Amino acid sequence: MSVDKKNILQERSGSRAPAEELVKLRRENKHLRKSLDLVKQEQIEYLQNVAHQLVSPLNAMKWHIENLTSSRVSVERARKVLRSIYSQATIAVHLAKNFALMSNLEADHSLKAMREPVEEVDLRLLLINLTDDFQPQGWDKGIKIIVHDESFKKKSQVYAIKPLISQVFSNIIENATKYSEADSTINIRRVDHTQTDVVAIEVTNVGIGIHKDDIERIFERGFRSGRAQNKYPAGTGFGLYIAERIIAIHRGEIIASMNAQNDTVFKVTLWTDKLKGKKTK
Amino acid sequence: MKQSTILVIDDEQGFIEPLKDALEFEGHKVLTASTGEEALDALNSNKIDFVTVDIMMPPGDSLETEIHSHETGILLCEEIRDSYPKLDVFCISVVTDKETIQYIQSLGIRFLRKGETSLRTILDMIASSLTGIAYSTDDPRRKHR
Repeated sequence: MSVDKKNILQERSGSRAPAEELVKLRRENKHLRKSLDLVKQEQIEYLQNVAHQLVSPLNAMKWHIENLTSSRVSVERARKVLRSIYSQATIAVHLAKNFALMSNLEADHSLKAMREPVEEVDLRLLLINLTDDFQPQGWDKGIKIIVHDESFKKKSQVYAIKPLISQVFSNIIENATKYSEADSTINIRRVDHTQTDVVAIEVTNVGIGIHKDDIERIFERGFRSGRAQNKYPAGTGFGLYIAERIIAIHRGEIIASMNAQNDTVFKVTLWTDKLKGKKTK
Repeated sequence: MKQSTILVIDDEQGFIEPLKDALEFEGHKVLTASTGEEALDALNSNKIDFVTVDIMMPPGDSLETEIHSHETGILLCEEIRDSYPKLDVFCISVVTDKETIQYIQSLGIRFLRKGETSLRTILDMIASSLTGIAYSTDDPRRKHR
């Protein structure tokens, strides 16, 4: 660039930035463009994964429906097919809700967009409803999901954002159903026997378990253990990340562990007190 | 058409069930395998006429340390080509990676997109493969099915 042109440029921009400054800015600009391209690439891959995960249960439903409409199954078998379609629809709805929550999480890291009103939520009822929803999926592998009613003697209301808390337990129960051994039982119990201002729920299952090195990482966005990936290739690694973020908004606690019997345990603790459950920050 | 034994290798119950229903309706005997290990056992201990195989599948306990779930189906395709060169195989998978699809096709195995290909088309293509009669969408029998 000629000295004249450089001077004109400097005059136009209203500054007297030396040539080195411009070179530096150009370099920074190039670097930022590269980072932006990487982010765009990640977004494309994320959306492809979302599309793939959502399309899968819908395609399974299509095949089932094709068999029903072509009368390829007996009337007796048709009932089972309808149950399978219901199962696949449950998976599709569950995934769609997770992806909607993910976009909220991605769009607003302070979670402001997700602050719906806090209301009184009966966890016992909520867990029974979720169990009814996921049980058909469990039957495919002979898995029984039991909400231990006797453990809910005390009032089990917490103050929470209902659709979000529902998604937390939905993610935990869905995971337990997916990773449980065939013909095993998923147990859901209330376990806060001594504390008075919380409700604590434990979901235990017998399955692939969590390696001690993975316990810390299990709530990371997109994390799936090597064993989980190899045993069950389909999955997003978003469920527990979403659960952890939602519990954080409620100032509650979510802990993953292995108990003495080598069962996988997820413990969720929420406040019964309206003020304690509300994030003030 | 005489009854054929078809081995469906897939780990997703949502797809195994309708494929099995449709194949049984056509009069075939259907065996299923949900891991690489189960598939190899089924191939070794049964007389199989036709195989459908998925790509992403759990390898099974004995193979878990050796292979990754992303390559289970590829390994099975190679094994079938080596040990059972005359056995007809369709790969039915959601995989979109062009290289993988081309590799599978280079082994002489047909690739069909899972879910997006109708069961009707899969049944016709399997029938055509087993009988040697070319598959045609004009076939008047299709209208009655």
